Amino acid sequence: MKKLLLVLGLFTVIFTMTACKASEKTLVIYQNKVEIDEVLRTYAEAWGEANGVNVEVKTCGGDTCAYGTQILAEFQADEQPDIFVIEGMGGYNIYADKILDVTGEAWASDTDLEFVVDGKTYGFPVAVEGWGMAYNADILTAAGVDPATLTSQAGYLAAFQAIQAYYDGNASMSDYAVVSMAAASGMTWVTGLHNFNGYLSSGLAYNDSTVIDKLNNGEVDASRLAQLADWVELLFTWSDETILLSGGYDEQVGKFAAGEAAFLHQGNWTDSSYTNSDFEFGYAPHATLTTGNTSLFIGAPSYYVINKDTDSEADAKAFLNDLASTAEGHDYMVNQAHMVPAFNAVTLVPSTPLSALVMEWNQAGNAYAWWQNDMPSGFGMEVVGPIYELFAKGVAGASGGITKTEFIAQVTAAIENLG
Amino acid sequence: MNDFLKGLKRVGIKLGFFAITVLTILLLPIFSLIRIIEKIFKAKILYFDPKKERNSVGRYLIDNWIGETYQAQNNRVFVYFLFPALGAFLLFVALPFIQGIYFSMTDWTGLNDPSFIGLINYKTIFLDYEFGFSFLRTAIYAILNIALINVVAFSLATLVTQNLKLKNVYRAGFFMPNLIGGLVLGYIWKFIVDKVIVQMGGVFSPSLLINGNTAFLSLLIVVTWQYAGYIMMIYIAAIQNIPQDLVEASEIDGANSWQKFRNITFPLVAQAFTVAMFLTLVTAFKQFDTVISLTQGGPAFVLPEWIGNIYGLNLLPVVQSTDLVAINIYNEAFVNYNMGIGQAKAIVFFLILLVISLIQVYYNKKKEVEL
Repeated sequence: MKKLLLVLGLFTVIFTMTACKASEKTLVIYQNKVEIDEVLRTYAEAWGEANGVNVEVKTCGGDTCAYGTQILAEFQADEQPDIFVIEGMGGYNIYADKILDVTGEAWASDTDLEFVVDGKTYGFPVAVEGWGMAYNADILTAAGVDPATLTSQAGYLAAFQAIQAYYDGNASMSDYAVVSMAAASGMTWVTGLHNFNGYLSSGLAYNDSTVIDKLNNGEVDASRLAQLADWVELLFTWSDETILLSGGYDEQVGKFAAGEAAFLHQGNWTDSSYTNSDFEFGYAPHATLTTGNTSLFIGAPSYYVINKDTDSEADAKAFLNDLASTAEGHDYMVNQAHMVPAFNAVTLVPSTPLSALVMEWNQAGNAYAWWQNDMPSGFGMEVVGPIYELFAKGVAGASGGITKTEFIAQVTAAIENLG
Repeated sequence: MNDFLKGLKRVGIKLGFFAITVLTILLLPIFSLIRIIEKIFKAKILYFDPKKERNSVGRYLIDNWIGETYQAQNNRVFVYFLFPALGAFLLFVALPFIQGIYFSMTDWTGLNDPSFIGLINYKTIFLDYEFGFSFLRTAIYAILNIALINVVAFSLATLVTQNLKLKNVYRAGFFMPNLIGGLVLGYIWKFIVDKVIVQMGGVFSPSLLINGNTAFLSLLIVVTWQYAGYIMMIYIAAIQNIPQDLVEASEIDGANSWQKFRNITFPLVAQAFTVAMFLTLVTAFKQFDTVISLTQGGPAFVLPEWIGNIYGLNLLPVVQSTDLVAINIYNEAFVNYNMGIGQAKAIVFFLILLVISLIQVYYNKKKEVEL
């Protein structure tokens, strides 16, 4: 009797296990955008039900979860996701052994922003993002500033002075800021990556990689760097001091969203903060070069890539194709996740102000490339960012700051160290 | 001289026997396996004749470990009982540690196949001014932190062991910050420093967290606020364990409160000092979570000139002022993806921490009084 029970028990266990394996086609997506976690989950579950696949979305990102660290841990723990996210060339170099070559997929013919290395396609652009100087058009109009003049440092200086004069003429605007920018320890992604990208791409053709190539070889373009330093000094001089020295993302964007700042040094991902803002938005290019700046920095920040060792390659490919080509996929990207899709087939227009502007600038061909992710990992945020931080202190007159000459010398030395 | 040689020989023999014992313990599973095989096949593979063995090492082995004497049987059973714990220790502590030493000599990035490169990583970190600076900062931090926490904790402990009305409420209150996680605590204090006390103006504005030295000071205060309550509990326990008859006897002899404190309380809580100092030392060196949330390792700071001179740097580079060793290691491994160098830093860190804590425990132990 006992033996019979034992055998029965054993069979039950085996059946359950095999049964699980047979029906459970799983697809694990490990992504890094906290803000779209919920909508992606909803979309993925709906897609999974329609296609008989059990889709699991895992998210790790933002201030509290270091995606790079976590994904490395997942790989080391052998809990490998089927689709994961890389951020440009830096990420590709780290995960090169793990990424599937997806050349020839249908979605790739519908975009110009797929991630390509040596003629082979690897990454699906998650979205298009862009940054520049977002402005409050109401303030600019009231101060008599024409946004069309904001292409040179002289133009910006005149605009900043006009806006300050406008604030000074209104008692209720005494604590308004001309520029809302943050350069403290936690904000080095804005300074060391976004602002510094101007040095790498301003005024160059979209695929012109000369400056970034020189940087990676430890060579400095002194003239560009000097122009960048002038631009940074101009920005820091007209920034709200408290936000510049100790503010975080919320303070920086909050000031602009409340209509108390004329310019914001951020990209279209800040859109979610403007639900209560009632003013006209606009975008102007960074004046990294002394004159002749015409474009925003637009690119795909991250790419979905397929794990080479995945068991569900076909499902993963189908998921990405459907995302790019079906009406549901478009609806998810534009209306649910408020992203700017990289695909030409998409006709929906984002309802959020800055995303719509980025799409407009992109369609008009006014885009400078993103090279900040092609710098060695940690260089922008850990090396260049702190130098910006000290320069901000120098400009604001806080103790321990550095001058513009020292800023140029420090950045030069940091770049030369890469050689 | 002769005595010295004799002493040396005695120590040598003791060490030798210790080594033999350790080896035997590790080889015991093999030994028992042989015994089982012997029983099954009724053969004698490993046979010692206790009467014929003359060699002292052989005699020791037979009498204490592999013979059939009472002592040997007992010893073997003890060792069998040791195996579950020993196995867990070897698997989860010793093995990863040895693996870590291996990885510190490779060019591992986390995903590539590591290849052995010898001691190059160690050379890299000794030439790395950031790591040197980080270590100096951590050492200063640890010294100040140990002093501050222990002084505050001991003062609080003396205070709440007096005859106060609400002393249990005070104890709970002082202990409370320790129940808040380090990360949350860091964010709370970041808010307090950046938003609240800035309003007071003066030295508090602009925020204390934007200057390297004041940020360092803020970190010290926050960690003390958190950890002093915990250490206070250790001191309270020690103070309550002081026999009251000693105190009474000293009172009869006319001791004043300073004399009582100096000659009774202080020597008798020395044991607690050992524990508290060790705990504060180790946590100070390993400080991570509060720093991450309070200062993110920043603010930036130009490297002091004298350190720059040691490393022969012409241009003083920018460093992070609260970049303590634990954070430096984390960044090296998980931000720059240099697992090998990060691991080498961790090994150096371990060795230095080991030496410092051994010295600390040795000196504190000497001060302890046995009743």
